[in-house]
Amino acid sequence: MTEARAGAETEGASAEPASALAPPPLARMGVAVLALVGLLIATYMLLHRLGVVGRLICGPEGACEIVQSSKWATFLSLPVPLVGVLGYLVLLVVAVLGLQPPWARDRRVSVVLVVLSGIAVAFTAYLTAIEAWVIHAWCRWCLGSAAVIVLILACALVDLVRVSRREEAL
Amino acid sequence: MSPQSKRAAPAKSPYRAFYWILIAVALVGIGALVFAVVRARTGGSAAMAPVKIDSTSLRAIAAKATPEKLGPDNAPVKLVIFSDYTCPYCGQWAAQVQPRLMQDYVNPGKLQIVYYDFPLGTEGEHKYAYLAARAAHCGGEQGKYWEMHDYIFGRQSDWMYALTPPVKTYEQYARTVGVDPQKFNACLESDRYADVVTAEHELGVQLGVNATPTVIINERRLSDPGLQDYNGLKQTIEQAAGTGAR
Repeated sequence: MTEARAGAETEGASAEPASALAPPPLARMGVAVLALVGLLIATYMLLHRLGVVGRLICGPEGACEIVQSSKWATFLSLPVPLVGVLGYLVLLVVAVLGLQPPWARDRRVSVVLVVLSGIAVAFTAYLTAIEAWVIHAWCRWCLGSAAVIVLILACALVDLVRVSRREEAL
Repeated sequence: MSPQSKRAAPAKSPYRAFYWILIAVALVGIGALVFAVVRARTGGSAAMAPVKIDSTSLRAIAAKATPEKLGPDNAPVKLVIFSDYTCPYCGQWAAQVQPRLMQDYVNPGKLQIVYYDFPLGTEGEHKYAYLAARAAHCGGEQGKYWEMHDYIFGRQSDWMYALTPPVKTYEQYARTVGVDPQKFNACLESDRYADVVTAEHELGVQLGVNATPTVIINERRLSDPGLQDYNGLKQTIEQAAGTGAR
């Protein structure tokens, strides 16, 4: 038994130097945490849309309800919060999978994250412009989600740069 | 502790910390969502009690109390009713007397019914009196006041004794009568119309109303609002029309 444990420790020790040298992909971790925050915000909005959570906690003016009940709150027959839930879920899954050993330094993961979050930022910019110039009401949760997705794009870009530099160094 | 295990700790810690953060964020978020759902199911932020109104003067209260009306403004007779959605006799009046009055007098333009809310309380069987009154007003916001009025009265037993505020039940009524449920919910889950309902109740109190349904024709309070003797009510309306007084 003692020998077996010693063997395991030796095996672990032989695997450690490589992982110890590689810095943890913090930007990718950031994407995962932010995607989870965005997922929770989008879920809250979706539950409101489904009439499960009643009135949104959104300040005294009911601006969130105005935005949520507008015709712009539906995209391609889907409620916009559902689009958000699906989008953040995909980002979360990709980011967490991208932290696993086979893909931790895979450039393709970084590219997928940048492309997905880039599309999401463009969509969010469109929705924010609608709020500003068409509906004339600001939904705080939507703005929160917008901030989250912009941060996700920033983290994804940092991750892409990190992985690209590493590949060049090798 | 071996040198190998000393090296292992710093290599694992960023991932471990990351997963802990992820779990913590998920737990806090799910907890908040569950809280929001439970809060909504137990009535949420929907106002269910009278609110403070700015002035106690009769003029100010009357200005804030905006009754719902059936029939033309130039009808020769006005019937003022103070009613409560949790009052069974009011439900009976709405189901039996009002339709007959509609047919006999309101539709021909001879009578206008002026409806004031007079919630009888906030506890016991009247605990949802204010909420029901507000639900009807929220329906009225989309032009369906009387449809909601009829639904709420017609199904009193379905919601009056509910353990939690019957917000979902009213929403179902709203859907049935063709009210946009989202706008209705936004209205009901706020304190909208709480001031109107409170003012209408206060107006009733200042006019000496102490029971429901109280029916007033030509400043005369009727001892029987037509529940026992509809012909007596008809006679009173005919007399009022004959004198031309309002």
